[in-house]
Amino acid sequence: MPAVSRRQLLKSAAGLACAAALPGLASTPASAAPVHDLLNALIKKYSDAAKAAMANADIKALFEKDGFRDYLDVYPVGDLAGGFVWKPGMGASFTGPYSKLQIKAPFTDYLPMNEGPVLDKAKTYRIGFVFHGFNHPWLISLADTAAWEAARHPNVQLEVIDAEFDDNKMGQVIDTWIAKKFDGIVLWPSREAPMGPPVDRAIAAGIPVVSLDRRTSSEVISSEVLGNFYANGLQQGLYLQHAAAGAGAMICNRKDLGSTADSIRTGSYLEVIGNSPDYKVLANYHTNSQRTLAFKATADALQAFKDIAIIFNTGGEEAMGALDAVREAGRLNSAPGGKKIIILANDDAREVLKEIRAGNMDMVAPYTPLIGDIGIRAVIAHIGHKAGLLPEAPPKLILTPNLPMITREKMTIEGIETLTPDEWPYAYGPEVAS
Amino acid sequence: MSAVDDTHAARSAPAIRHPAPFRAQIGGLSRIAILLLLVLTAQLVTPSFLAPANLQVILMAVAAIGVMAIGMTLVVIAGEIDLSIAGVAILACVLGGILIPTGSPVLVIGVTLLTGLVLGLINGILVAGLRIPSLIATLGMLGIARALANIASGGQALYPESIGPYVWLGRGTLLGLPVPVLILLVLTVLAIALTRFSIFGQALYATGGNVKAARLSGINVAAVRIAVFMLCGFCAALAGMLDSARLSYINPSGFEGIELSVLAVTVLGGAALSGGKGTITGTLVAALIIGVVNNLLNQLGVSIYLQQVAIAAVILAVVLPDALKRGTGK
Repeated sequence: MPAVSRRQLLKSAAGLACAAALPGLASTPASAAPVHDLLNALIKKYSDAAKAAMANADIKALFEKDGFRDYLDVYPVGDLAGGFVWKPGMGASFTGPYSKLQIKAPFTDYLPMNEGPVLDKAKTYRIGFVFHGFNHPWLISLADTAAWEAARHPNVQLEVIDAEFDDNKMGQVIDTWIAKKFDGIVLWPSREAPMGPPVDRAIAAGIPVVSLDRRTSSEVISSEVLGNFYANGLQQGLYLQHAAAGAGAMICNRKDLGSTADSIRTGSYLEVIGNSPDYKVLANYHTNSQRTLAFKATADALQAFKDIAIIFNTGGEEAMGALDAVREAGRLNSAPGGKKIIILANDDAREVLKEIRAGNMDMVAPYTPLIGDIGIRAVIAHIGHKAGLLPEAPPKLILTPNLPMITREKMTIEGIETLTPDEWPYAYGPEVAS
Repeated sequence: MSAVDDTHAARSAPAIRHPAPFRAQIGGLSRIAILLLLVLTAQLVTPSFLAPANLQVILMAVAAIGVMAIGMTLVVIAGEIDLSIAGVAILACVLGGILIPTGSPVLVIGVTLLTGLVLGLINGILVAGLRIPSLIATLGMLGIARALANIASGGQALYPESIGPYVWLGRGTLLGLPVPVLILLVLTVLAIALTRFSIFGQALYATGGNVKAARLSGINVAAVRIAVFMLCGFCAALAGMLDSARLSYINPSGFEGIELSVLAVTVLGGAALSGGKGTITGTLVAALIIGVVNNLLNQLGVSIYLQQVAIAAVILAVVLPDALKRGTGK
């Protein structure tokens, strides 16, 4: 445990963040506070400022139209479980059991569990892992980390099922595991509401359940491992403020309207830039995580608007589609004054990092899928606590550490030290030839 | 006499008939008129609409779906349907893409197109040989092909950037035109020649118009059906390759739901799902209508959800007059 309390740490980080945010400072010294706490402090700072006022009428209108406040206010922002402090470089390396790709998972020391048999060594624990999408680079990586963690414990038997984006199928899978009296269940729910009842049934049957990345509507679920959407959008806004100095015309390629990823990332991005009156939102597309749609929308927007200076993308697929359209139109350096169009991205896929390295994209806020191992460890701990083998159960809310943004050159923005692609070993997805 | 009347004539006439007149071949003047009206409106709303760069963007946007729709039109004229095109496109691209490490463009492109042909052949055999309704057979193929694409790729994207000629197919230019647009135009001309001026074209309309009469006329109906499924498979693989090359990205979960968009273009172009009716030029005009509407709405910043409503409304507006004519027996 650190010598100071989390609250004290957060206070000191907030102070650092406020000092670092003095207007006119192009680059600021890096903060000594953990990046998680520093980003949380900045989230609070910009959220409070946006609640007080939003000077940019264009952005305020969009913010209110899409109801971002409703989503942002209920998204959990807080401390890490067990006083964990994440630092770049942490984590284990292995070959993904499903993707066969080389993986370095960042959070294998979070809620740590020694390799070898767990809990009652004479017993075999059956855990079900249900998710959607062996055919999705992000999701297969999630399954990779879950399977890796389970394989470290010889008395853990993991059954992995792909529900293929069918909520009913996922519900049936959970009901089957309840009937088979599984010891624990870990799930990645696509949508919140439909998975509540099956999770409730599992809990009622005495089976601990942990959800990953997304929430269910169950109020009695054992634990939720949640990502750092808020820090993603925040850092896109911070980078933009740093690079564009508060002015520029933008288009937005966003995920599905109402999805958590879109609501929190876009909402927090707008919170950061909402008090700069000289940004203008030219067009706002929901390209729904489809690269082709983002490509088409951006290609058309480039024809309609000659002054695009910024392209905000809620996800990596959107960013890649937008970049391809910009490249095809030969418009990479077509922002006013012959400047490069600033392309902001989320999701640290290897192909995105390649574009950062090449200087085509400007920044990416990582959103790692490599969190399945946390879910497995959490559910094992719940099983142990239920059996009286462990004194404490994991917290209900297990927040994953906020991760710093990745930029081509190392820089410090509002106290956050960015990492370069070469300093980021946690990228997912296949290698792309340079 | 309208294109609809021509079809009625085709159904009641002997199986082999003369190619459709020019007016029918262009898919009905109403569609052309709607396209021109849309272009005019778009130019008024967004002054840069008719700029060469924007026209190129529209043509590039419709190239792949246009190629797929040409294949689908042939199948629909034959009285069948092919719901497997997305699966065929993606499996073909993945199987070709797996060969990227060989560095051989011939292998990568060849295997991609060959896979399309083979999957089309299997569809054809299922429908024509085993008499499985095409709706069921191709739906099954869609699922199988998508699953195989995922298995073969391990769920991971493939990047063809190192295969120059492959990427050229999506990003290159020839005679001042982008290659995908050129391919669409060449394919259109070939398909028009096939449907209008060849014996195969006559057999195709006859098979779709009245299969019994076609058989009695000595047409090898099974061969016609197998051929159109093969051509459709080839077009799907080619379109998949054009899109993958353009983005330099083979996505094993790509082309989600494109079969319905392609089917919409085909029907919008005047093809009847009951068979025996449809033209390649009509399909091309329909693809352009969709492309123009999409481009205009994107330029206006209209949300994708409203775009879907608008495109559905355009399809209904174009198809409705034909439907009303049929309803009143005119």
